[in-house]
Amino acid sequence: MQNFIKRFNHYKYPYMFIAPALVLLLTFSIIPIIVALVISFTDIDLAGLANYSNIEGVGFDNFINVFKDPVFLKSMFNTMFYVIIGVPLVVMLAMGAALLLNYGTGLLFKTFRVVYYMPSITNIVAVAVVWGYLYNSHYGLFNHILSWFGVPAQQWLTDPALAKLSLILLAVWKSIGLNMIIFLAALQGIPRSYYEAAEIDGASKWKKLLYITVPLLSFATFFVTITTLIGWIQFFEEPLVMTKGGPLNSTMSMALFIYNNGFQLSNFGYAAAGSFVLFIIIIAVTVLQFAVKRKDVEY
Amino acid sequence: MAAKRIEKTVMTVLLIAGGLLMMIPFIWMITSSFKPENEFTAVPPTLLPKEFTIKNYVDLFTKLDFIVYLKNTLIIVFWSFVGLFLNALAGYAFAKYEFPGNKKLFYLVLATMMIPGQVTMIPVYLLINAMGLTNTMAGIVLPGLVGAFGIFLFRQFMSTIPTDLIEASRLDGAGELRIFFQLIVPITKPVFAVQGILAFIGAWNSFLWPLIMANDQKLYTLSVGLQLLKGQHGSDFGLQMAGAAFMVVPIIIVFSFFQKHIIEGYTISGMK
Amino acid sequence: MLMFSVVLAGCSGGSEDAKEGGEGKKELKVWLMGDTTDETLIKEYEEKNPGVKVSVQLIPWGSAHDKLLTAVASKSGPDVVQMGTTWIPEFAQAGALLDLTPYLEQYPSLKQENYFDGAIQTMSYDDKVVSIPWYVETRVLFYRTDILAEVGYPEGPKTWDEMKDAGEKLAARGNGNYAITIDAKDMNYLSMFAWQNGSDMIDENRKPHFNEPEFMGAMEYLKSFYDTGMTPLASDLDLFAAFKDGQFPMFISGPWMIQGVKDKAPEIEGKWATTTLPAKENNASFLGGANMSVFNTTKNAEEAVKFISFMSEKESQLTNYDVAKNLPAVKSAWEDQRFEDPIFATFGKQLENAKPVPFIKEWDAISKEAIAAFEKITVGGADIKTEMDLLNQKATEMLNKK
Repeated sequence: MQNFIKRFNHYKYPYMFIAPALVLLLTFSIIPIIVALVISFTDIDLAGLANYSNIEGVGFDNFINVFKDPVFLKSMFNTMFYVIIGVPLVVMLAMGAALLLNYGTGLLFKTFRVVYYMPSITNIVAVAVVWGYLYNSHYGLFNHILSWFGVPAQQWLTDPALAKLSLILLAVWKSIGLNMIIFLAALQGIPRSYYEAAEIDGASKWKKLLYITVPLLSFATFFVTITTLIGWIQFFEEPLVMTKGGPLNSTMSMALFIYNNGFQLSNFGYAAAGSFVLFIIIIAVTVLQFAVKRKDVEY
Repeated sequence: MAAKRIEKTVMTVLLIAGGLLMMIPFIWMITSSFKPENEFTAVPPTLLPKEFTIKNYVDLFTKLDFIVYLKNTLIIVFWSFVGLFLNALAGYAFAKYEFPGNKKLFYLVLATMMIPGQVTMIPVYLLINAMGLTNTMAGIVLPGLVGAFGIFLFRQFMSTIPTDLIEASRLDGAGELRIFFQLIVPITKPVFAVQGILAFIGAWNSFLWPLIMANDQKLYTLSVGLQLLKGQHGSDFGLQMAGAAFMVVPIIIVFSFFQKHIIEGYTISGMK
Repeated sequence: MLMFSVVLAGCSGGSEDAKEGGEGKKELKVWLMGDTTDETLIKEYEEKNPGVKVSVQLIPWGSAHDKLLTAVASKSGPDVVQMGTTWIPEFAQAGALLDLTPYLEQYPSLKQENYFDGAIQTMSYDDKVVSIPWYVETRVLFYRTDILAEVGYPEGPKTWDEMKDAGEKLAARGNGNYAITIDAKDMNYLSMFAWQNGSDMIDENRKPHFNEPEFMGAMEYLKSFYDTGMTPLASDLDLFAAFKDGQFPMFISGPWMIQGVKDKAPEIEGKWATTTLPAKENNASFLGGANMSVFNTTKNAEEAVKFISFMSEKESQLTNYDVAKNLPAVKSAWEDQRFEDPIFATFGKQLENAKPVPFIKEWDAISKEAIAAFEKITVGGADIKTEMDLLNQKATEMLNKK
């Protein structure tokens, strides 16, 4: 016992530092997800919520049914599509924008930092309204611009094949800014002396970028990739406000599927089962990322 | 030298071209907020309003219980900055201390980032209700006070701080909290700036949770207020644009203020 | 420092308000939806009932369902709540709404006979009266009198065949001109055509009839609108602009469009009108709107019912129309001179023949499936019979669950 106290005393500070955050996360994330796990084995709906005696256990039915649901399977496919195209685009464009903005220090460059960041800070409702207009096939700016080049008007949000890409474009536009400032902050941490040393060796700009900047950004790149990946697997707001998942469910994402079943139709058990599948996919992908990263460091 | 100038020109042109692409929706939003309602559907679309009006803004301010909503929004912003320090403390501990369970607890924190928000809303609500915190600021603020994203970001950046630096301060007799506030915080100013901006935006735009928690309009935020303007059928676009434009302005100001620190900080870490 | 004092002020705010209600006055908590910002009626009620303080909380329409769910979950709802009519079965089945039957004798303005037939169907669930219609809306045909006159229907089409004939002639104008919009994302819209073709969709025994000729015929009729170019498959034309420019000289919609057309298309004043829907077997329209219910967790049931009763009086209903343009649910209010304008009178006439959607809690889920099936037929080119068999099977499963 005394040993324990001694040990604890030794680690007092780190535990004190993480305690507030951990307690809050435990209460408001971990406990609720356990509740959700329990819910996923029941048929709870609004009547169950009002009176717990209406709830019945259904075993693995929700999980079995969700994998039989063509809409859910489609949403899994769509989500994969979003992630595979969207995530690399975001990471590359965000890094590119950060390098570009880091190039100069003049007023112009400072001002454009704000410009590049603006999309990230906009309220999603405003984004929906503005992009809704941009994509409008009759009054929208995009088709207007296409018409200058003689390209016929596109059905940006109502063509099943194009709609997914339109949403990705919007989401990429919206998420560049946040990741860009993370890269920008990381770029500031690279000591000038590294570049100076390289310059003495006569390294070209390109070489400096490739052999100093990019490797030294790896911490930030890892962070951005992981968080963007997790964020995009939970792709939700864009289809919700722009297409509601249509046309023909071609823009339905897993998170939107969960929301529709949970909050629109009050099938909480079914939605919880769906969200567990999503949760497990995210964990798997993240673990994979960490594994790849570990290999990376070892070389 | 000529090559250098050409390079600079290319970069500047790239910068401006990219910036304009990013800005189109904004310019559209701002100018549209000054358009009368019937100009929204003009063919071809007008970028600048043909008929300039501030009616949308006048409506916005007369229809909203503005001061109350602003006050609530600012309270949430304030608490989100408190949460920011809790995140930083946790991130620091994960990055720079060896203690039993460090890795495992950190993965637990990461796992919370992967939980789809849609599914925990009702359990969280029931918890808050059991604590008797519905319809209070505490109920609105607590669940979002700390976040895995922030802890992860702080940890990621703080692990690049040389441990020698911290050891040196310890040898000088500085306490752990003092080290955090006087050494770590200044070094990681850029991350604090990034997080500060994020915290502000999150709080400023918070919508669904304050609405679910509030059983009294006196606890509504600006975003909730804006949603009230939307009718059951269709909506008034000019008014929405004005609302959206208005919500963005303070964020731009806050961002411009913080972003200086993103660039100015990080001088000490060069000592390595 | 300023920040801090704001924070403190905010924290104490909540408790003060709670006391206010306790100072001898009873507090009645009322949840109203989004756009109901005018407080004229609330003030009137407080003047008449000095012992009561009504605290209204406005809820944005878009998130009202979420908010109501959590209120049920925590068993701490308001006293009176405004409800979208399609939500009532779900909440009534969950036992969240108080049975108002015992109060009907005492408050005659709540009795069924005051309301339109369609609205009466939204009042009771399981033989209990659980909600009282507050305002109604129904869909009618808006049309351009000048353009329809050119194709021979100055009064608007009266039957399905006339509608089709007029539509084809209008589509023949070409140049991006169509005849009518179809709101394919709105099951209420599809339901109207089903009713008109004699389909009940779901009968009293909870049996669906989607794969029968009546319903399929309605889908076929609507599909032919696309096939003949009367309606574009995907269109994001602004309805007001398209109505003004004649691209869509007809559309079917509700009363909220009247002011919209007046405001956004003042150029065509006098060149448009409303008429009741074209008929097949009948010309049934959709009846929607909002009702008022009492949450069963209330401690002020008596006061809550009294408040709803006040809202249902003819005078209050007219005031509600004046301040919010909500159409009265009470039949007698329609005798008022306000509704002599033919554009409005149409709605009164259509309300005589308007129904709510099937009053079952599964309806939202079924209608989502039905919309998806219709989309597969029109956009995806699927076979009607196949899709409808599938839809009927899914609906059967959902209805058999409990």
